[in-house]
Amino acid sequence: MASVELKDLTKSFGDLTVLHNLNLTVEEGEFVALVGPSGCGKSTLLRIIAGLEEPTSGDLTMDGQWVNDLSPRERNIAMVFQSYALYPHMTVADNMGFNLRISGMGKAEIKQRVEETAEILNLSELMSRKPSQLSGGQRQRVAMGRALVRNPDVFLFDEPLSNLDAKLRVQMREEIKRLHKRVRTTSIYVTHDQIEAMTLADRIVILHGGHIQQVGTPTELYRNPANVFVAGFIGSPSMNFLDATLSTGGDRATLSLKDGQTLHCPLSDRLPAETEVTVGLRPEHLLVAPSGANDNVLHGTLELLEPTGAQNHLRVSINGSTLTAVDNTLASVTVDQPVALTIEPEKIHVFAR
Amino acid sequence: MTDVTSNSAAAASLSAERRARRRKRAFRKALMPWLFISPYLVLFLVFTAFPLLFSVYLSFQEWNPVTGLSGMSFVGLANYAQAITDPWLWKSLYNTVWLAIATGIPQHVIAIPIAYLLVTAFRGSFRHLYTATMFIPFITSTVAISLIFYTIYSSNNGILNQWLLGLSSVPVIGALFAWVPDAMPIRWLGSSDLLKPAIAMVVIWKYTGFNIVIYSAGFLTVSKDLYDAAKVDGCNAWQQFWHVALPMIRPFIFFALTLTIIGNLQLFEEPFILTAGDSGGVSQAGLTASYYLYLVGWEWLEMGSAAAISWILFAFIALATSVHFYFNAREGLEGHN
Ligand SMILES: Nc1ncnc2c1ncn2[C@@H]1O[C@H](COP(=O)(O)OP(=O)(O)OP(=O)(O)O)[C@@H](O)[C@H]1O
Ligand SMILES: [Mg+2]
Repeated sequence: MASVELKDLTKSFGDLTVLHNLNLTVEEGEFVALVGPSGCGKSTLLRIIAGLEEPTSGDLTMDGQWVNDLSPRERNIAMVFQSYALYPHMTVADNMGFNLRISGMGKAEIKQRVEETAEILNLSELMSRKPSQLSGGQRQRVAMGRALVRNPDVFLFDEPLSNLDAKLRVQMREEIKRLHKRVRTTSIYVTHDQIEAMTLADRIVILHGGHIQQVGTPTELYRNPANVFVAGFIGSPSMNFLDATLSTGGDRATLSLKDGQTLHCPLSDRLPAETEVTVGLRPEHLLVAPSGANDNVLHGTLELLEPTGAQNHLRVSINGSTLTAVDNTLASVTVDQPVALTIEPEKIHVFAR
Repeated sequence: MTDVTSNSAAAASLSAERRARRRKRAFRKALMPWLFISPYLVLFLVFTAFPLLFSVYLSFQEWNPVTGLSGMSFVGLANYAQAITDPWLWKSLYNTVWLAIATGIPQHVIAIPIAYLLVTAFRGSFRHLYTATMFIPFITSTVAISLIFYTIYSSNNGILNQWLLGLSSVPVIGALFAWVPDAMPIRWLGSSDLLKPAIAMVVIWKYTGFNIVIYSAGFLTVSKDLYDAAKVDGCNAWQQFWHVALPMIRPFIFFALTLTIIGNLQLFEEPFILTAGDSGGVSQAGLTASYYLYLVGWEWLEMGSAAAISWILFAFIALATSVHFYFNAREGLEGHN
């Protein structure tokens, strides 16, 4: 097991700078999820940590040791590739046992460890097949198995569950969580799926355009997103944003929307200094206002009602923009009729524009 | 009543007409593909099928082409019987196998690692340059190459002997070549021990580049991801080659080996030129099967025997290729995806 530290890490391909001055410490035994939109540099960062790509500048240390110059073999990392990268000429069992074979382990022990791992991943029936005879999901599980069978210092996962169906994905997610609880190996896990990130990770790193936007526990990111990007990225359905003018007279702050409606939130040092701001309202925090309520109420028109069973998703048009609200009470509202939404003052997010 | 019958008769004739038309259309449709491939078919029949069958017929005749077609006389299996009792046939087959092995193995043993190193080092446009360079010996006329090697091997003022002499007087490494002055002049093409190795060198020189090109193409099909995976699995450069790259190009090895086996068993121009067409050189050390075939047919004008020998040679190549297929085809032809 090892801690991983990036110091001012930059990576460019020719003129294109993909990662900008990244600083990050992953503690020993920690499970860190790396999320961000496609092309933001997640795989590149993982490949640098693995030693498959050299950073253009900056330092990479593992357990305090400078490892920029070490080969993947010397770093003792295991990686699950986004493209699986299974050896086409080897059977599933050989693919999984290859690392152990290279490291000189005895045949009997390899067989035993491969079989144990295959059991966990539900691959026991497929051991003698070649990768070309497997489905995408099965290949992905073999790619996972190839990493899990080892005993590395760091696990690197590059979207390891992206090709599995919903049920299998949940099952594998639990399996990974259980495994990490047991072995406590430092893990860095790239995913597009924020639910996966939130449920698995001790901490989440949000990457956007090669810059780290925010690092924090899932709850921190959800409660106190540092900027509009993080706020919109974390949470599902994603946060609603409205332009507003901030004024801080009296004992609370006032947010005036363009059509004159106002919201109030408590004064705090997290409020931006500017007056032109973006207000963020999470769909699950917007409630259908009881009739007669008038504090922190937004009036609009119900455009669309999407029942999902346990909740209704309301699409409400307010002042030209459309907000989403998740209504757990299944209130009876009518499409094309006025509707009023309310929100607790503490749950209003305000970002600099 | 009458109406009904005349109607149905008309309907019947109508449908018969339609059926006839449909048949005609189907016929034309079936004919079309044949029409399109007919140019090839004609060429194939005239230049491949006819000579093939004619040579079968010929192998049972005694025929000196100078006497014209009327000079043919049926001799049954006599040509075959004569061929297999001729010691030169066996000698030529021995030489052929010797050369096939001595030139075949080095071609691949040299080509595979070089191709691997080239592909690893250059994936860019320089690759096209070296590919083209490698191809030059292959597309150059064998006769021209053999003539040049003939002068290189020349015992009195050939470059090879001059070089060896020169090396023997170079200070440090000269000790390695101390034997050279005593051995001079080395008669590369004039001694039965050196003739086959000398021929082999030419063949290796000519075909190794071709194999490098084939294997480069093979190594290029191996995705970079696999090397990355191998690195993460702890492979060093040699292990990446041995455990990943080499197994991945198995179909290419199989293909190149097949070409080498067939080509080497038909070896003719190199030994023919290097021995100046003189009965296979000193004690027939350079007599290959094709060479022997040529002597029988065109020097001794025994077309019937030559035809019989060519069929024996065919059987031999077929056997060698099937042995190779038997042992290597399952793995070699198996596709990866
Ligand atoms: N070898 C390379 N040469 C040039 N550009 C590259 C190279 N590898 C990656 N890039 C660029 O770097 C950027 C980041 O790529 P990367 O694969 O890290 O994205 P990602 O975050 O993993 O995306 P995804 O979620 O789609 O997998 C992209 O713009 C990509 O085009
Ligand atoms: Mg990626």
